[in-house]
Amino acid sequence: MEHGNLLNLLIFLPAVGAVLCLIVPGTRTVKVVATATTALVMLLSLGLFRHFAWWGRGDGWQEAVFGGTYGERLYEVTRLDWIRLDGTTIQYFVGIDGLSFPLVILTTLITFLACLASWNIESWKVGRGVRGYFALFLLLETGMIGVFCALDFFLFYVFWEVMLLPMYFLIGVWGGPRREYAAIKFFLYTLAGSVLMLVVLLAFHFYSPVRTFDLIEMAVNDRIAAVFNAETTSFLGWKFATAMFVFLFIGFAIKIPVFPFHTWLPDAHVEAPTPISMILAGILLKMGAYGLLRISYPILPAAAEHFAYALAVLGVINILYGALCAMAQTDFKRLVAYSSISHMGYVLLGIAIMTAAGLQGAMFQVIAHGISSPMCFFLVGVLYDRAHHREIDRFGGLWLSMPVYGSLATLGFFASLGLPGLCGFIGEFWVLVATFSAPFAWARPMAVLAAVGVVLTAGYILWMLQRVYLGPARPEYESFPEVTGREVFILTPMAVLAVALGILPQQTLFNFMNGTLEQICELYGDGVSMMASVAGMCLGR
Amino acid sequence: MSSLELMLLAATVIPLGSFLLLALAGARLGKPLAGWVATAAIAASCVLSGLVVVRWQGMDAAARAAARSAPVPWTVLGDVPLEVGVNLDGLTVAVFFMVTFVSTWIHVFSIGYMAGHSDEIDGRSKFHRFFAFLSLFCFSMLGLVIADSLVLTFVFWELVGLCSYLLIGFYFHKPSASAAAIKAFVVNRVGDMGFILGLGMVFWFLGDLSLAGAARRFAEACGDPGSALRQAGPLGLDMATWLGLLLFCGAVGKSAQFPLHVWLPDAMEGPTPVSALIHAATMVAAGVYLVARIFVLLTPQALLVVAGAGCITLTLGALVAVVQTDIKKVLAYSTISQLGYMMLGMGVGAWIGALFHLLTHAFFKALMFLGSGQVIEGCHHEQDIRRMGGLWRRMPVTCATFLIGVLAIAGAGIPGTSVGLGGFFSKDEILAVAYSRVYGDGTHGARPHGSAAPAAGPWAMTETGHRSALTHAVPGVEHAQASAPLPALLFWVPVIVAYITPFYMMRCWWLTFMGRPRDDHVHAHARESALMVVPLVVLAAGTLVCGLVLFRPLVAEVAPAGLLAPTVDGHELHEVHHALMPIVGGAFVVGFAVAIALYARGLSLAAAIARRLRPLHRLLEHKFYFDELYGLVLVGGTHLLKGLCDLFDRIVVDGIVDALSASTVRLARFSGRDLDERVVDGAVNGVGRTTWELGGAAGSLQTGRIRLYILLAAGGVTAMVWLALAAGG
Repeated sequence: MEHGNLLNLLIFLPAVGAVLCLIVPGTRTVKVVATATTALVMLLSLGLFRHFAWWGRGDGWQEAVFGGTYGERLYEVTRLDWIRLDGTTIQYFVGIDGLSFPLVILTTLITFLACLASWNIESWKVGRGVRGYFALFLLLETGMIGVFCALDFFLFYVFWEVMLLPMYFLIGVWGGPRREYAAIKFFLYTLAGSVLMLVVLLAFHFYSPVRTFDLIEMAVNDRIAAVFNAETTSFLGWKFATAMFVFLFIGFAIKIPVFPFHTWLPDAHVEAPTPISMILAGILLKMGAYGLLRISYPILPAAAEHFAYALAVLGVINILYGALCAMAQTDFKRLVAYSSISHMGYVLLGIAIMTAAGLQGAMFQVIAHGISSPMCFFLVGVLYDRAHHREIDRFGGLWLSMPVYGSLATLGFFASLGLPGLCGFIGEFWVLVATFSAPFAWARPMAVLAAVGVVLTAGYILWMLQRVYLGPARPEYESFPEVTGREVFILTPMAVLAVALGILPQQTLFNFMNGTLEQICELYGDGVSMMASVAGMCLGR
Repeated sequence: MSSLELMLLAATVIPLGSFLLLALAGARLGKPLAGWVATAAIAASCVLSGLVVVRWQGMDAAARAAARSAPVPWTVLGDVPLEVGVNLDGLTVAVFFMVTFVSTWIHVFSIGYMAGHSDEIDGRSKFHRFFAFLSLFCFSMLGLVIADSLVLTFVFWELVGLCSYLLIGFYFHKPSASAAAIKAFVVNRVGDMGFILGLGMVFWFLGDLSLAGAARRFAEACGDPGSALRQAGPLGLDMATWLGLLLFCGAVGKSAQFPLHVWLPDAMEGPTPVSALIHAATMVAAGVYLVARIFVLLTPQALLVVAGAGCITLTLGALVAVVQTDIKKVLAYSTISQLGYMMLGMGVGAWIGALFHLLTHAFFKALMFLGSGQVIEGCHHEQDIRRMGGLWRRMPVTCATFLIGVLAIAGAGIPGTSVGLGGFFSKDEILAVAYSRVYGDGTHGARPHGSAAPAAGPWAMTETGHRSALTHAVPGVEHAQASAPLPALLFWVPVIVAYITPFYMMRCWWLTFMGRPRDDHVHAHARESALMVVPLVVLAAGTLVCGLVLFRPLVAEVAPAGLLAPTVDGHELHEVHHALMPIVGGAFVVGFAVAIALYARGLSLAAAIARRLRPLHRLLEHKFYFDELYGLVLVGGTHLLKGLCDLFDRIVVDGIVDALSASTVRLARFSGRDLDERVVDGAVNGVGRTTWELGGAAGSLQTGRIRLYILLAAGGVTAMVWLALAAGG
């Protein structure tokens, strides 16, 4: 455990920026302050790379970076007593490992790009203040980074809530025509999840033989594990672990979002302004997956195994149902929103099968989708800024009138389609192959069904490309200006990362996180491998 | 890395550089410079690969083996390392040279083809974009050829699919072109779905995704009677067979085999040079190439399926080609048919013959496609052969070179001698092997080949060579089917189709170039372009000489041990070939004669026959109604499902959510007079209204209040820090 202050800086700098946004004079200054803050946070977050550098350390780098067991090596840790209850101390405990590190970097990057994407806020014609927007925006960043860094369950919960409210306002105030409906839907859904999480938070605390909110300790302490996972421990008549897992899962499933808790997402996306959509798709959805991997799976592995089948089924439903719904959409942004649901299905499936390959695929998909989906949403936004509508069937021939934009859009959507050489492929492929070779008897049929998603994805994305970008040029779009320098500047990092992740998955991502993922796998590895040998499925090798 | 590998790698990467250059600065380079940049890039690749061929020829087996270096790590899947490297062997060298050589001349041709207005999309020149895509394609295709692992193969496999999509849809202002592009990509994805699952099986059972490693472990696993691979799977086939069949699915898509052949004819929407390069010579043959690479993973049952798919495809393609009137469609269906021959060859064990046919086909089919491009461009985009005729006067070189292509595909040669064109050797070799697998006692050519062959596959021959060639090498493991003769249809159907092939090709050539001009307008404007004639002559020369002298030995050298027909002059095969001569040797003469007899006096005679055979003609004209069937069942089914999902989402899922929120509000109404009044005030029934009410809270927020909220929240967070620090300090 290495102590440090960098995370505190990353978490609270945006909050300071938010306050600054409220007091500095002039709307332009507000924008500059906000952009400077997000840029500074992004640059500072790059400092985290020194802990996870796989280069220049020789052969033993993996051991040096990740340590032996889960939670053994945490970086930039700050651990302070915060609130004392009788017998318990709620801690301010932040730190990162291979699971949270890529997500923190993703957060700071996408937030910075989204901040740049907010520069044309005056043209959104919502008539609301610039000041409030950027202040909330920065507050949101505090919440997001906080969620990924918090290692105390209580603190995690606090940040989770801190992030919820700004999002509600950003959609509800600066959104589109049906913004109130979308915002309240988002809020209620997420709040429902939060309430369940709160129940778990309290239950963990009261059932644990060691009074703690420490997420790492809850995962690695055998005494806690014994009580939590025991058959005899019951909660309101349910088996404790089962009940807790279900509660947590619903909370996180709403965020991912998992069918049937997904309908807030398309509405929220359609109404949210472009930058908020970028953050929503790029980062907020990832918190569900992160929560599963940080809390549910390490602490309740037995329940996870118990529900593996159900989760995998939900994952496959997400993939297929999301893709089919995406195909049916007439609103460009709704289509991209449903494609997010479909893509996050791979994440759930990869997590559900509980193997190292599956986890790698799921986390890769998390990051890859965190890059490709903001890109897609921004591409839609670029169009919306010019056309002021998003109806797919009214577009056409845009590759002719806006060639640079058309080419970037092709790249972005093919990354989303999962074309090899681009980021979407690795996650999808890893998850499919891992599912096929997972130690569950039901895994093969599941993989076959999930693979159908590959065809459906190609179908809806190409069909959309055809209707929007191909076809003869339409006179009403002839005068559209080509992408501006600012827009290209925003798209370029995502485009470059989409290619880099696709070509060099190991160097750009796997090396930073696989160590921790393996440790998480080890936490529940024994159970699964035992089951595998019982089922006689451990074959070939 | 050895210098040979570096040369191949460089030759692969150069077109990528050209793509990047053209993508970023292509518009500035303009027309025709952008085209020459791309051409120079692929020509450089061609020179490099030519040097590789020359050096390879001069090396002995030991030096060749030594020239291969270990692959480098790329990434890790689970705990299985994935490595990438150059798959340096004779087959790679041969196919690599074919691809670069044909590509180079198609590039040259393209500059001529695009010189007019063919590069325009909706009136705007996209010259550089065309060549950028061509360069990207060359890179992807060459990458596919040198890939030494299944994952890397799959990566490039999809990339060539992307290029195919982009180039079929090059004239994307035409709805038919973009629809064809989508069809190609999606149909290929159906095959790739199987490919991915096949990779899953390889990962699961073999735990090694490199070609060599998978082959080795497959042989080991098959040798172990208790191995999971030998367990029964669905449909009574064992897991080993399923593994091969799933991988083969990919090849079915890419090589347009039945039942996924439907995309290739539509792909003719692309510019003609693209049809020549991607949809005739190189990419569509990649499926056959893949089967060649995974041949050692295919069990006898799997091979039977491969042969069956090939047999159906070659028949289907040939029959439909007979009635096509679009010159490119004739060629497209003939491509499907020829790919079927290659697949059949793979299936019956004519590994060398199939690849040999792949290489010769690349030359003569590219030649004919370019010829058709010359005709189409020369006739102002007229593609209907019924409106052509008599073009030999206007296009003598095109006419002559096209005829060479027709002779080659028809398998023309002088029986009993070694004088003949590509198809004469390659197609007949496939037929000869099929014959010996059907009727032979299995001794033909059953002899291990030279030392350069890689480790024997699991289906290697028995030592004595008395049993059939494809008997499992491991004692105690007997596949009953392995030594059983193949169904006779697998020989007789391709033989009959060998008579149809010369017929439809001669019909196409005759209607285009011979006879009287049937459309004065088309005829009057027809002309030949100098830049486009040169590639025709070069490829015609290639068709005449290259196939036999260069390619066959290169391919033969890497054939998995124990295959039939190890060498071209292996005398058993030669004998079979001779024995077949009475059956197929004269096929081209018969086919040509019938075609000329039918069309010598124009279209009337054929039309009369078509009227007489109305139902059959209809069936062929509609390509056996595959498009209609798939459109109804698959596309229609998907649209139905999509509509159902959408309805479910909006009515059921959202309905429940909205009803929940509505009932919450209703509950709240009773709780307070204030709220009650407000709701009554806005009394409109229905969910939308209710939710609007719910959202009212957010809507009524003033900026000032938000500011207050933020101050509170930010203040709270700051206070939290302060408390934390205070507590810690």
